[in-house]
Formats: sequence, structure tokens, C-alpha cells
Amino acid sequence: MEATHTLPAPSQAPLRKRWSARKRRSLVTGLLFISPWILGFLLFNVYPMVKSLVMSFTEWHLRMPSVWIGLTNYTDLLQDRRFWTSLANTTYMVLFAVPLNLFCAFLFAVLLNLKIRGQSFYRVIYYLPSIVPVVASSMLWMWIFNTNNGILNAFLGYLGIKGPSWLTDPAWAKPALMIMGLWGIGNTVIIYLSGIQDVPVSLLEAAEIDGANWFQRLWYITIPMVSPITLFNLIIGVIDMFQYFTQAYIFASVQAGSNAQRLGAPLDSTLFYSVYLYDRFQTLRLGYAAAMAWILFIIILICTLLLMRSSQRWTYYEAEGR
Amino acid sequence: MSASTAVQLRHHIAPRKMLSKILGHIVVFTVGLFFLVPTLWMFFTAFKSRTDVFRFPPTLLPHDIKEVTLDGQSYPLYRVPVDGQVREMARLKVEEGNGTFVDPENPEDVVVIRARLAEPVMTIKFHWHNFSDAMNRSTRPGLTVNFWTYLKNSTIVAALTIIGTLLSCVPVAYGFSRVEWPGRDLIFILVLSTMMLPFQVTMIPLYLVFTDTLHWGDTILPLVVPAFFSNPFDVFLLRQFFLTIPRDLIDAAKVDGASDFRILLQLIVPLSKPILTAITIMTFLWAWNDFLGPLLYLNNPEHFTLAIGLQDFQGQRNTAWNQLMAASVVFTAPIIIAFFFAQRTFIEGIKLTGTKG
Repeated sequence: MEATHTLPAPSQAPLRKRWSARKRRSLVTGLLFISPWILGFLLFNVYPMVKSLVMSFTEWHLRMPSVWIGLTNYTDLLQDRRFWTSLANTTYMVLFAVPLNLFCAFLFAVLLNLKIRGQSFYRVIYYLPSIVPVVASSMLWMWIFNTNNGILNAFLGYLGIKGPSWLTDPAWAKPALMIMGLWGIGNTVIIYLSGIQDVPVSLLEAAEIDGANWFQRLWYITIPMVSPITLFNLIIGVIDMFQYFTQAYIFASVQAGSNAQRLGAPLDSTLFYSVYLYDRFQTLRLGYAAAMAWILFIIILICTLLLMRSSQRWTYYEAEGR
Repeated sequence: MSASTAVQLRHHIAPRKMLSKILGHIVVFTVGLFFLVPTLWMFFTAFKSRTDVFRFPPTLLPHDIKEVTLDGQSYPLYRVPVDGQVREMARLKVEEGNGTFVDPENPEDVVVIRARLAEPVMTIKFHWHNFSDAMNRSTRPGLTVNFWTYLKNSTIVAALTIIGTLLSCVPVAYGFSRVEWPGRDLIFILVLSTMMLPFQVTMIPLYLVFTDTLHWGDTILPLVVPAFFSNPFDVFLLRQFFLTIPRDLIDAAKVDGASDFRILLQLIVPLSKPILTAITIMTFLWAWNDFLGPLLYLNNPEHFTLAIGLQDFQGQRNTAWNQLMAASVVFTAPIIIAFFFAQRTFIEGIKLTGTKG
């Protein structure tokens, strides 16, 4: 094979040389343009990834030689009750909060697509909460959930329901966070709304002529047509939920009357994976935290792959697309 | 179909259509309340007095005891039960649990009863000074740190992050879309795959590099410097946009002898204003909201951003909710204002990020 390549007439040699010079020049130009990314990739991705993997096999001490301890961090994690609690809490949110968010976002998008007056006003109202900074909205909801002076329990009181202690009752902490999460789904609502508006009118009209009612058109046409959006938001939702941190951090820090701030309060019911990881990091168990980070990465990878795999069965792409 | 049957049909359908329309409106409105009321609750709490915040049962609007002026001095107004009647009277003083009440119309008419039997007359009152109190209060003794400091820091962080993102992502996206070089598309897959990497994996080594090796602890540098090295998300968005620019335009410029750098600066960038605006806004939102970054790196309140400065209002025993909400309003206001100025850009930005992924 090599030989046949060198065979062509000598007259072609300069041409090929010129071409490869151009190719080389374009390579240099290309690399020059992407050089910020290359540097960033090496500094902020490759190096820390390798380093944290190495760290996860060590007992890491600040400014002191660290000790290689093999898989000890990982085996310790398996014995760590709080690790399992954090994983269970996170799984709870992934299994319940993520589908709830998607379901409601789709439902609200359908509502915003109804032909009624004032829709442009409603769209703004539904969307605005999602751009309130997470810290501010979490603080706000802690105030809404306030047992005695919060507006939620006041509202429930008018309905004759005695509202729970949202912030201090471990049974109500995660539902409270889920309600809070629903308030900020405006982004997803808008994404779904644009997807719904992209459904070809001809398709819906044809179904209507064939006698399909509103619900049937929704079920057999709109939902399959927006399934790629569902897949995308499902994956993003799961990844984000595994990294759920700020809301839980604020939640635990607003525990009324407790001086000793403890992450995960009340009673570890909001101790999510990333919260516990941060807790280990803060107490300078750096190797341990690194091991947790790698387990998180692997879990996220597996979840993403599984979702992608399963999606072939339930997502619909138009023939000309992708 | 004859005209009469059409009319008949319409008559038949109209009431049902009307009903479903009204029903739909009710549902849209009710769900709207779920989104609107918390926003209003934040806004109105910001105007409440300290006592009003903890009044039971709570009201949405800020209330305070109504006051009347007698002889140039103001006194609170109460509902006083007198001889089986309830009269609105000003309370002059309370001594040993007995209140002295006077009729504001007729100052000679004085009643003395147990003070707790009288109920205050409430009226809507906005406490604007909550805002100046929240902004100016210094929670750290010995430090001249207040909310203005945090506002300034947040602005600096957001501005530098935006500058860094634009300066780095634009050339990188150009390199991945408008320069042909071997291996380009393979490397681009690598760019996309880094989006999957959770922050937590790189967090600890980066923390050690920034604080131990570079001694950047307690500065904003760890928050803004990475922005200057591009991010996969914005590179992806820009690349997709650059690819839609007609090739002929670029080839024509090349024939005229323009360098890649000039093409990018004088041709591509001016054509990409919509996407650049969208990225600016999204980057602003991201930098303005970021909590974990500042939490990790900033220790000295002088360097705090708004996101972590908000916690100043949480006391050990009780929280100054009115001031916290006033601060939250200030924190949120720039975003809301930006939204109303660039509503279309916001929506386009969401659609770009959400559907083309």
C-alpha cells in the first residue's frame, strides 16, 4: 500500500506538497482559533479529572503528603449511612420531582397554548419566576413555608386545612422542595410551548376531520411530536437533580431557632448527594469527597446512556430531521 | 352543506365551545395565581414593618396601625368597645395595662379601659425605608460592608464573566465552524462531551489549584478566569449560528484577501448580533445567580456577591424577613428589567438552549 502511494508521476509531487502545506496552515489556523478551548480543556477538565481520580484513592491532607489507600474511600462509602441517605434522597427527587416537573411543564404549556384572551400576559406570569435567582427564590419560599406567618399555611387555613411544618418536619421537607421547584419551571414551559406551536396544523386538522377529540389529538399527535423535547429535558433534569445543591443548602440554613447549622436538616431529609459531598469537602475529607464525585459522574453517565437507549422506543423524529 | 345546516351546527357547537373556553380560562388563571402570588408575596413583604411581618393571620399587602394627629403629635387608632358600641379612638398612653383613649373628633371625650380590649385599626402602608435599611445596614461590626458592596461585586463578576465568555467563545466557535482543518469534527465531539462532566468532579482539584497553588483564595479570580477559556455550551450555540451564515459571503471576503481574523471580526460578528445578545443575557443570568462558586471561594464579606450576601439577613434566632425580601427584590430587579427590555431575546435564548440540544 505504501509503495503504490509513492508511485505517481513526479509532476504531481509539487501539487500534493502545496496542498498539504495549505492543510497544515489551516490546521494551525484552526488550532489557533480554538486555543482558548484547548487550554481550558487541559486546565479545567483533563487535569482536575485525573487529579480527582487519583485523590479518590488517597487520604488527602492539605499541605502534607497524601497517603495512597487504594479503594478504602470507596469501601468506606459503602459503609457510610449518611452516604446512602444522600443517595436515597437524591433518587427520590430524580424519580418524583423530575417527572413531576416535566408533566407540569407540558401541562402548563398546553394551557398557555389555549386560544383564550390574555395569553401573552399569562406567558409572562408563568415565565418570570424562573428568572428569579435561585438563592432569592429559595429564601422567598422559606418565608412562604413559614409555619405560622407564611402565606401557604394561611391559605390552607382558609380552606380549613391545618398546614404542616414544612421546614422542620422531615416528612414534608422534600415535598416542599418539589413545590418550590415547580414554581421555577417557566423555562421548560416555554420550551414545550414552542414545541407545541411547531406541531403542523395540517396534522391536527386532519385528525379533527377524522373525528379525533381534543384529548385524542393531544395524546396521539402533540405528545409524540414533542417527545424529543421530553427526552432532552428529561436528561437535563436528571443531571441537574443529581447536582441539586443550592436550594437544599438554603433550606437547611433557614431552620428557625437552630443555632448549629447542619446540612441536610431537618434530620438529613434534605441531605442530597451534592450536599453531602460538599459537607465532606468542607470537613476536609478531600479524598472521600473526590470518590463521591467520581461515583456521581458514573451514575450520571449510566443514567444518560440508559435514557438515550430507551428513547429510541418512545421518541419520534421527523424523517428529514437529524 | 346548506346555509341553514351550517347555522344549526354552529348553534349546536357554540355553547359547548364557550363552556370549554371558560373552563380553560379558569384553569389558566388558577395556575397563574400559583406563579404570581409568591412573586407578589416577595414584593409586598419587602414593604412590611417588622411587626406586620409576624402578624397572624398574615395578609398579602403591607399593613400598619392607622394613625391620627392630635395637637401636632400622631397617635395610633384603636377600635374601643364603649357601652356596647365600638368606636374608633386614638390611644394616648398605656399605664399598668390601662389604655387612655380619646375621640379624635372630640378631644374632650376620654375613655380609660384595659388596653388589650381595644383592637388596632389597620391600614395599608408601604415602608419604603426597608429598602434603604436593607442596602445600608452593616451586619459586620468593624467592616464597612453593606449590600451596596455585594451589588458592586456581583456587577463586576457578571461583567467580567460576560467579557470572558464572548472573547473566548466567539473565536473558538469560528475555529469549529468556518476553518476547515483535519480532525475538527472529532474534537468538536470532545467539546460536547465535556458538557456531561459534573461540576463536582473538577471542583476539589480546581479549588486546590486556585487557592493553594495560585493563591487566589478570597478573590473573584476563580469565578471569572475560567470564563476566558470558553465553555462548551456557548461554543455549541455560536457554532450552530455561524454555520447558517452563507458560505459565499465568506469565500468572497477570502478572495478579496481578508484574513480569517478580519472575516470573524468584520463579517461574522456583525451578522451574529442576535445570538451574541442571547449569550450575553444568559451568561449574565448565570453569573448573577451563581451560588456554589462564591460559596467555595469567598470568605471575606468585602468580596461577597449578592447570592451569598443575602444570607446576612438570616439571624441566629430570627430573620429580618422584610429586609431580606427587600434585598431579594433588589437582587432580582436587574433581571426583571432586562427581561422587559429584551423579552424576545430571552425567549429565543430559551428555545435555542432547549430545543436544538
